[in-house]
Amino acid sequence: MTEIIEQINFLARDVFENDNLIVNESTKASEIEEWDSLTHIMLVVAIEKHFGIRFSAREIQSWDNVGELSDSIKMKIVK
Amino acid sequence: MLFTSSIFLVFSVLFFLIYWVFSRFSLLCQNGWLLIGSYIFYGWTNWMLLFILVAVSSVNFLCGRRIINKSKIVKPILFFGILFNVGTLVYFKYANFFIESFRDIFGPSHLENLSTAKLIIPLGISYYTFRNISYLLDISREKYKPVKNWLVYYNYVSFFPSLLAGPIDRANNFVPQLILPRKFDKEGIKNGLRQFLWGLFKKIVIADNCAIVTDAIFDSSNAQSGSSILVGLFIYTLQIYADFSGYSDMAIGTARMLGFNLVKNFNFPLYSKSIPEFWRKWHISLTSWLSEYIFTPLNIAFRNLGRLGIVLAIVINFTICGIWHGANTNYIVFGFVHGLFFIPSVLKFPRLQDFLTRRYEFVNDLLGFLATFLTVMFTFAIFKAKSITIAIDYYLLLFSRSIWTVPTFSSGKTHVAMVLLLCISLLVFEWYQRNREHGLTIHTLPKHRAWRWVIYSAILFTICFLMPRSNSPFIYTNF
Repeated sequence: MTEIIEQINFLARDVFENDNLIVNESTKASEIEEWDSLTHIMLVVAIEKHFGIRFSAREIQSWDNVGELSDSIKMKIVK
Repeated sequence: MLFTSSIFLVFSVLFFLIYWVFSRFSLLCQNGWLLIGSYIFYGWTNWMLLFILVAVSSVNFLCGRRIINKSKIVKPILFFGILFNVGTLVYFKYANFFIESFRDIFGPSHLENLSTAKLIIPLGISYYTFRNISYLLDISREKYKPVKNWLVYYNYVSFFPSLLAGPIDRANNFVPQLILPRKFDKEGIKNGLRQFLWGLFKKIVIADNCAIVTDAIFDSSNAQSGSSILVGLFIYTLQIYADFSGYSDMAIGTARMLGFNLVKNFNFPLYSKSIPEFWRKWHISLTSWLSEYIFTPLNIAFRNLGRLGIVLAIVINFTICGIWHGANTNYIVFGFVHGLFFIPSVLKFPRLQDFLTRRYEFVNDLLGFLATFLTVMFTFAIFKAKSITIAIDYYLLLFSRSIWTVPTFSSGKTHVAMVLLLCISLLVFEWYQRNREHGLTIHTLPKHRAWRWVIYSAILFTICFLMPRSNSPFIYTNF
């Protein structure tokens, strides 16, 4: 698990209030019960605050899995 | 043309025969005949409305063709397309409402030159406008490629089973089914017939008989008691559910007989344990549409406001949901109130909820179900009333001493008792079937074929025996 995925996992556990949650690159929102359209935005806000970045509306609606979310974070941090 | 009319029976038999004969030749024949059939179905009552349908399809198809690459004109074309669709909808559906509201506020002498009487609302405009808007937005976001073939696109917009009252299918589900030839599938046709029969039963036996009682109660509410209004609201809840879900079952069943799979529109919502769950199961194609194109962008825009932002996005989303139903203050209030009902779920405490669910699961579920059913039932008073003033009168009656009196019904006690029995039977039967595809998914149940035919015959007999003399139109075809 990469460092970014580990941090997403930590934030997701806090947002979804599930201490046993484990996400990896291929995890999709549909696979996690607590991950709906509401909590998705809450997770995005948590990620933005944690990494000090800002996503566009298009980016937020484009990710298919945690891997793609992680790639977006990576690109923002490098910039 | 309505599914419950005798002319539809003649139309469907002829249409299906030719459709499946054409399937032997080519996809072009099949899609061509499908479009002709859809236009006959739509233009049967007023052929002039076909011009609007064709014009709207053409504009959206052409806009889609211009959004084909990442050129600079994508945004202006998208803006024009959305404005055209929303403008058409507002003009036909809401212009009268705006003019009348303006006159109510600023006096009858204002906007004198504008007449409010001559506009006819094209049937199904709310449904096909939403189909077109989602298509333009999705292709501009590159979720899928624009449709190249006009025949495919016009069929997507005008597909007759779902044209008048949904489900609002998205292009990514429906268009791929139009691109491939449909093959004659005996099992699919049988399942489609079963679902159509169940929808017909709900509409004719339940909804139309309920309508006789509720019309008598609510058309003369001044003479009624709180107890009559209470019984009326219970029956109206079942009526509107049977009417609309019945239509959806008939639409999905008809589509299945033509080789298409439409999205599920109802998932037994009356057994929901919370208002958010109710809206996830009621008119699914509309709520998922609104969730994707209204709620999510608003929620993203308001995301820095925390839970307040979520509440704002939900309330705006549901107010728009109310407005979608029609140009009437009642619908706006209905949507707004349901938006407010989401607040507890936004401010929820998952760990506490988990504890309650684990420890007191049955009580939690039962209370949740009763609270949700009663909440929905009471808010349907706003939906049923012709104005907010009348809705307030209903509530005053419900909270008056007359709630403890024996209800009286002008439609006759025997008929009301029969209707109540039908409503409860529907609730029990669908509760038993709630985890299945639709209410009449019984081909997997009894091992003996004869039992199934007993059930089909009983349903057909009940439809013939309990069919009211005059069948009322579908409630949701007015939206």
